[in-house]
Amino acid sequence: MEVFKGESDRGDKLLSNGPIARLRGVQKVYRRGSEEIHALKDIDFELNEGDFVSVIGPSGSGKTTLLNMIGCLDKPSAGVVLIDGIEVNTMQENELARIRREKIGFVFQQFYLIPGLSVKENVSLPLLFSRKRADNQHLKSILEAVGLSNRSMHKPNQLSGGEMQRVAIARALVNNPRLILADEPTGNLDIKNQERIFNLLKALNRQGLTIILVTHDPKAAEESGTSFAMTDGVLTRIQSVADYFCGMRV
Amino acid sequence: MIQFLKLSWNNILRYKTRSILTIFAVACSVGVLFSILSFDIGFERNLAKEIEKTGIDFMIVSKGCSFEVASLVLYGAVMPKYLDEGLLDKVKHVEDVEIASPVLISQLPNLKSGRTDVLYGMEMSDISKLKPEWHVNGRLPQRGYELILGYLIAEKYQVKIGDEMPYLRDGINFKIVGVLNRQNSQEDSAIFVPIQTLQELLARPGAVTSIGVKTNNPMMIGSVQDKLSLKIPGIQIIMMDEVRKNISSVASSARALTLTIAIVVAMISIMGVVDSILITLFERRREIGMMRALGASRNDIFRLSLYETVILVSSGGGAGIFLGFAGSGIVEDLVREVTPYVPPGKIIAFEPKLGILLFSCSLLAGVLAGLYPAWKSSRVSPIEVINC
Repeated sequence: MEVFKGESDRGDKLLSNGPIARLRGVQKVYRRGSEEIHALKDIDFELNEGDFVSVIGPSGSGKTTLLNMIGCLDKPSAGVVLIDGIEVNTMQENELARIRREKIGFVFQQFYLIPGLSVKENVSLPLLFSRKRADNQHLKSILEAVGLSNRSMHKPNQLSGGEMQRVAIARALVNNPRLILADEPTGNLDIKNQERIFNLLKALNRQGLTIILVTHDPKAAEESGTSFAMTDGVLTRIQSVADYFCGMRV
Repeated sequence: MIQFLKLSWNNILRYKTRSILTIFAVACSVGVLFSILSFDIGFERNLAKEIEKTGIDFMIVSKGCSFEVASLVLYGAVMPKYLDEGLLDKVKHVEDVEIASPVLISQLPNLKSGRTDVLYGMEMSDISKLKPEWHVNGRLPQRGYELILGYLIAEKYQVKIGDEMPYLRDGINFKIVGVLNRQNSQEDSAIFVPIQTLQELLARPGAVTSIGVKTNNPMMIGSVQDKLSLKIPGIQIIMMDEVRKNISSVASSARALTLTIAIVVAMISIMGVVDSILITLFERRREIGMMRALGASRNDIFRLSLYETVILVSSGGGAGIFLGFAGSGIVEDLVREVTPYVPPGKIIAFEPKLGILLFSCSLLAGVLAGLYPAWKSSRVSPIEVINC
């Protein structure tokens, strides 16, 4: 079932031209005492509609910082971040929250479902912050898409890890975002569920949804359309994930 | 707003034990506060009724402390001083005095019970005017050794009309000729005899402890007092309202202390709520970060957190008012046990205005207590959720 409507939250049709996310000369510098840590070094990056991009790299290389920039969770020390053509690096906190609500869906490694709420209520949570009424038909189609239509009234503690992550994906989709940021979404799952979640993301991408996947899983990175490697704050496009991992072993 | 409240309520339910303990702490302090304030209101109200039941505008006693007079009126204390003989006639002849009724109060040993009873010697012919609400089962005493009992003392001694009560020495037996219906006042514990009989028994003919005066026009009370002061030197005129104020002022210092303690306890429990909410928020930092990442604004998070505190405190407030009302009997018994004087009748009653006021105050306290945790939670960065 198709759940990705290809419209923004405000009903605007997707722009066929122009990147959904664009980073120009983005730098991020943290200070730890007198020490300066360059988490991102002069990043230029473009993400177009329908892309499925994976980002790999060792821990502490800057993957998360990159995700924070694209997800409007953090501001760069230098450079420009454009989301759907809008420059977000100068925006105030509440405007950034609006961009996140309307254009971006997040999937986290830890799921972060609210324990007392049912699957349906957890999925509806972003609608609360968008001041929208939950449309039962819409929720039903999303839950069907992630294979949880028969679990809508279950509480998170009645679900398996894979099911919880699917709920989290449904929650990311409920506001019809233009972009899904998935931060190691299979990191806490067994092989079978890792595959299932990855296949779900691929299916969503086939429907036109743009996805950035941060992963340590070479197979997932290989299967995504485009892969980037992050090393010491430098983002590099890689042709072969296998070669990259071989290189790391050496 | 309902969805936000629902989410806040869900968060409260997630920490059941902590939430119940927090609500219980608030409920206890609000319950105590409710009891004390209800007691305060009931005390003043019942004291005013008690004073009103004396049926007089003011009282004439020999010069002394006004607190003694308060005791005289309400406890039936025995004062060693008597008013001069013949004074009653002088008072009766003052213009605008409708009733001047003498009272002689004395303690006499009850030979049957082995206790000492306080007997009120009264002019029985004045009773119908001074105490129109009295209903006597039996009849009022005439001259001679006859008495009527208050409702409670009759129950306490398990006596009935026709029984005899021996006083002072063998051979002096008072016959019970009537029992008062319940007055919910000190009169329920009193014994009334004709004043002449008591004077005779004490070998003090004409002795009077006090004279209760009722004027024929309340507007003339001041003028009657002036005339009495001029005509009869050496007396003290005590307005019944003054007696009420004196008693009230004595009791109010003790009540102010308990009220202060209750307010401090309430403040401590509110601090406990703040602490509990802060701990909960700390534990949920990542979840808050998740909500922020999903698009919740700082204001949304602020509201969610504030609602949690308000729900906790107002639930505690509501439960406290209920507890205060439900436990009012116990509190009242306890207060009566430790307080020297409490007017008769049920003191702690549910006061709707007080209930609404306290509930509103707990709501306001909830808002104030919730501001800091709400502000703190609204500052949680959405990066928290990514950086785990």
